[in-house]
Amino acid sequence: MIWQLDLSILTLIVICAFATIMVKDLLSAAIIFGAYSFLMCLLWTEMGAVDVAFTEASVGAGVSTVLFIAAVHQTTRRVGFRKSGRGLSKAVGLVAALLTGLVLVIAEKDFPGFANPFTPASLHVSPYYITQTLHDTNVPNMVTSVLADYRGFDTMFETAVIFTAGLAVIAILRRYKKDDRCDLPDPHVISAGYPDTIIRFVARQLVPFIQLFALYVVAHGHHSPGGGFQGGVILGASFILLAISYDSRMIIGRMSEKWNILLGNIGVLIYAGIGFLCLLLGANFLDYSILSKVLPATDKIMARSHGMLGIETGVAIAVMAIVVSIYINIVSCGKYDKDE
Amino acid sequence: MESIISDYNYWIYILLMMIGLYAMLAKNNLVKKVIGMSIFQTAIIVFYVSIGAKEHATIPIIAHGHGHGAVEAAIDVTHYANPLPHVLMLTAIVVSVGTLGVALAICLGIYRRYNSLEEDEIQEQLQ
Repeated sequence: MIWQLDLSILTLIVICAFATIMVKDLLSAAIIFGAYSFLMCLLWTEMGAVDVAFTEASVGAGVSTVLFIAAVHQTTRRVGFRKSGRGLSKAVGLVAALLTGLVLVIAEKDFPGFANPFTPASLHVSPYYITQTLHDTNVPNMVTSVLADYRGFDTMFETAVIFTAGLAVIAILRRYKKDDRCDLPDPHVISAGYPDTIIRFVARQLVPFIQLFALYVVAHGHHSPGGGFQGGVILGASFILLAISYDSRMIIGRMSEKWNILLGNIGVLIYAGIGFLCLLLGANFLDYSILSKVLPATDKIMARSHGMLGIETGVAIAVMAIVVSIYINIVSCGKYDKDE
Repeated sequence: MESIISDYNYWIYILLMMIGLYAMLAKNNLVKKVIGMSIFQTAIIVFYVSIGAKEHATIPIIAHGHGHGAVEAAIDVTHYANPLPHVLMLTAIVVSVGTLGVALAICLGIYRRYNSLEEDEIQEQLQ
């Protein structure tokens, strides 16, 4: 860790945060927020959190920005002025923010020293994870082994949360009736104007490589940064790229709403199913070492490694389906029936 | 000066949290409020990852650790960053895209009904 780099990135982050709040155009705010996320990604890498950086690059700088742009496309870029009570709301916000800041500044004295290797957070269970991950699971990337094995329950319910978010977006936005109001120019096309051949051609050629890379990220998460979440988001992003460069009919034809919801279900069920399989074989829920009984030529340690790969695949499928589903619902305002 | 540089991450996390909270409370535009919520979330993530950082530590992947007969040499705990905050924050980032999707969906639903994203204009129509 290099403190000069740390300082300059953090300063840029604060500038971006101020700019994205202050700017008077929502599209600009979305783009500046993308830059903010990208700087965050640099910050994580600089602090040694490569898996977090990977996630931030694909989720924060990638999909979040696209979602903001899709929402702005469906609504308006305009930021109006408050007609009355403007001073009051600003004062209330400022007082609340300053009070929170004051409390945190007072508490800051008791925080553990920054970059100190002997803080309480680094002394309790974390040394066990660092020293035993190779011995227990044969997975050198300890973030993957903690995520998928030692704390597998957490991750299972995080996946369930993503799935619930996808369901919530469908419940809020989806409209099946044809004669619904909200007159949109064309619910499918985000790129205004004429179709651009160069962009379409390049996007179409890129998609297989993006998907191959996503599969690599999922499969190689044991040995390098990456895993189910990142790979799933990249897979979803490849579909979103097609949807942006063509229109959303292009991916609805390939991945219908029914399939999308089904794949989201299947992903979560793969995760829970592997857990139940362990239970059926006589071990605890999500204790993959028992899988050596059913997997050929596997000892207990490698069984844990393979079990992690199984649940990462489930996570990737669920995340991909949900990301695509959220994007299509937002960009078309919930109106994307095939027969339109 | 020394304490400001050494705890710079903590000061910035407090500042980002204040910016996010201010945007959520004081901004009139709903999308701006959602951006404030995202900034608030990233502030928390800065805090967690800063706690997991260690001086002179490398990324939490054991070097030459793959393949059979992997190095069984003693692993120095202070040599690797703390993986636990990374795991928690990795999933938090993915959940934040879920919350962002739901928040934007609610904004779109409001816009569909009231044809505005401004808080005061919506309140006028509600009364």
